[in-house]
Amino acid sequence: MEAIEAPPLFAIPGIPDHVTYTWVAMAILIVVSILASRRLQLVPTGLQNFMEIVLEQFLTLLDDVVGHEGRRYLPLIATLGLFILTSNLLGLVPGLMAPTSNLNTTAACALIVFFAYHWIGIRKQGLGRYVRHLCGPVLWLAPLMFVVEIFSHLARPLSLSLRLFGNMTGGHILLAVIFSLTLGMVGWGASGSLAGVLVGLPGSALLIAFTTGFLLPLKILVAFLQAFIFCMLSMLYIAGAIEEAEHH
Amino acid sequence: MRRVVVLSFLAVVAALILPRGAWAAEPGTSGGWVGPFAVIAAGIGMAIASGLCALGQGRATASAVDAMARQPGAAGRIQTAMIIGLALIESLALYVFVIAAILLFVQPVK
Repeated sequence: MEAIEAPPLFAIPGIPDHVTYTWVAMAILIVVSILASRRLQLVPTGLQNFMEIVLEQFLTLLDDVVGHEGRRYLPLIATLGLFILTSNLLGLVPGLMAPTSNLNTTAACALIVFFAYHWIGIRKQGLGRYVRHLCGPVLWLAPLMFVVEIFSHLARPLSLSLRLFGNMTGGHILLAVIFSLTLGMVGWGASGSLAGVLVGLPGSALLIAFTTGFLLPLKILVAFLQAFIFCMLSMLYIAGAIEEAEHH
Repeated sequence: MRRVVVLSFLAVVAALILPRGAWAAEPGTSGGWVGPFAVIAAGIGMAIASGLCALGQGRATASAVDAMARQPGAAGRIQTAMIIGLALIESLALYVFVIAAILLFVQPVK
């Protein structure tokens, strides 16, 4: 990807860029949390009010999807959601880089979700019953169902990580290509020839309007949507691991 | 119909011949002959994947909007289910995007 995307503004030599910017995202989250919870008030104002609203959205989602036990998993889900959202939005700042546009970061998040929901399910209903649920309801189909279930469970972290990574990287490559196109158009318009003035200048104006009016709002929407989808699917997996206990 | 078949056959023949010519024009750059084919495969694969993904997402969105119009009270839940379904459909196209990116940038086979 380095051939297309410009390197970020500041990079620590010897440390990969996505690790540096993961720490940037963590620093932003830590500072905001400390500022919001420094003087807690019963009637919240300002930043505390904002953070409470954000966390209430997570709580509503957890109540809707996981059920009455969902609030126990607020730390996991809200941490993942806020970290992924902050990382996605970091990539929209020129000169910075989204840590989620590297497969290692998204795979780490997806593996955390993978082990967490299995652990939650096993702790909830015991190892034997959890494995028995993988085998399906019919006894003579159990060997087939077990293999199918194992593969479907293994595909979950793969699709979680690839979805986030693909959306972020695809958006960045698209923006980089459009930017290089705009630079070429502007250069053609500035060259002074008649065709350049007639075609290049309106073309570059059109490209700039397209980028700022359509592509950047789309990328902001995608950043929020992907964080939401990652949280939503994690909650669905946790709900699936828990709910199987209640059917039997 | 026959014209389409003939045209696509010609396109395949051109795709098979042209990159070899491009490679033969400058030997010793990368060494292998797979590279140009990888670029073609990435482009065609991404086009097929995104076209079919658009068909699937369009069907899903159409029936979700239909359901929301019939049951405005359940619009929130339908919308959530629709977004999850769209994400699952889209991930299939993203697999192809990742493979295309691997073919273009990582170049496992030169």
